[in-house]
Amino acid sequence: MWRKSNDARPSPQPASRAAEQPVTTAPVKSTAPAAVPIPAPEKPPVAPSAPVFPSPAARSVVTHDTSAPSSLGPGLKIRGELSGSSDLYIDGETEGSITLLDSRVTIGPSGRVQADVEAREIIIEGTVQGNLKARESIRLTSSSKVQGGILTPRMGVDDGAKLRGKVEMTRAGETKGYSAAAKPAAPAAAYKAAVASSESESSKR
Amino acid sequence: MNWMAKSRPSAAAPAIAPTKPGPSSGAANASLRVRTSNGLKEFLWLMSDVPHARVLDLGPVWQATVNFFLDKGYRISTDDLLGTWKEFVSAEEERLRAAPLTEEGYSARLSVSSLADKFLENALQYTENSFHGVLAWDLLDYFDPAVSARIMDRLFDILHPGGAVLALFHSRAPERFHRYRIIDTQTVELVSASTLAVHARVFQNREILELFAKFRSSKTFVGRDQVREGLFLK
Repeated sequence: MWRKSNDARPSPQPASRAAEQPVTTAPVKSTAPAAVPIPAPEKPPVAPSAPVFPSPAARSVVTHDTSAPSSLGPGLKIRGELSGSSDLYIDGETEGSITLLDSRVTIGPSGRVQADVEAREIIIEGTVQGNLKARESIRLTSSSKVQGGILTPRMGVDDGAKLRGKVEMTRAGETKGYSAAAKPAAPAAAYKAAVASSESESSKR
Repeated sequence: MNWMAKSRPSAAAPAIAPTKPGPSSGAANASLRVRTSNGLKEFLWLMSDVPHARVLDLGPVWQATVNFFLDKGYRISTDDLLGTWKEFVSAEEERLRAAPLTEEGYSARLSVSSLADKFLENALQYTENSFHGVLAWDLLDYFDPAVSARIMDRLFDILHPGGAVLALFHSRAPERFHRYRIIDTQTVELVSASTLAVHARVFQNREILELFAKFRSSKTFVGRDQVREGLFLK
């Protein structure tokens, strides 16, 4: 798992202060230029008080877990267009648009999004002002607050969720735009007849 | 009034009846708290021939209600009017507390009419003729008359000609605050909820008709729980 080329392995030397820092899985650039990319460890990061790595260089390697969702933490704010192919977890503030067609977008409990969101799967735990469009499913948890239209083939709503907007269903995988609420469907002839009949014979009390 | 232009659904069930096995106790089954709604049955019947009918539910969003309409091919919008009103009033009160009193009369800014006008600047903002049906439930009982009148004006505008409003009116102040969740075509579940607003008034029949004066016809169902269901056609 921790294979490295011999060139990259430095000769043993006393551990520097920097090398004492704990290993992290945060997706930041490695400071060891010759290090070979390594897969993410399955175990959680180890505290510096319990060293398990044989060499200081190994301890300086920072891992990058490509399967983990990208995340926007609380206190962060992004304005603009977000797109890509990674799952996304938002617990900060976002304005603009979010388009992750093959991915899952989760708006965390502290997340505040003012954007149209289009993704494979959308989970809302926070606040969203904008249209939601999912290819597979949308879930509104009990803490969610959504103002906008919803377009999805499957929808889950927990008790306590707040939605101010319309819901339309699509077939799974179908891509379709939001229909304008201003464009009502034409009433059927029978409905017209019923209304006309009731009009002619009804009387206000 | 002739509502018989279409073939009728099967004979109406009693206004209040248990829909699940078990004892019936007035308005609701003790275990499930459901009530039979002939108004809902008629409401759905009126829209049954409208392809992709648009329905506005003025209560909170429920999975069961959303599924119910989506399964029928309808398009459902939800707009928790009472919840929105409560948030609005709280925000206004907070704003007025912080605002200086010298700009204009404090009482004038807090008048219900001015609050209602301001509320509707953002609430129920739908284009005209958008919906074929509106589920108002018993919300009008909880609004001040000045607010109710303005809400009805707005509902009239956003309702498609021939569209219907289903509204419930209590004959006495309800013991608990409930929200309504559709179970099937003529059964709604009463979901106990924290009180969003105090029951404001008991409408007399004449007052109901005045409130819906713009609508061209109406039909009323009275349940054994003394809840009147009114169906009003634009």
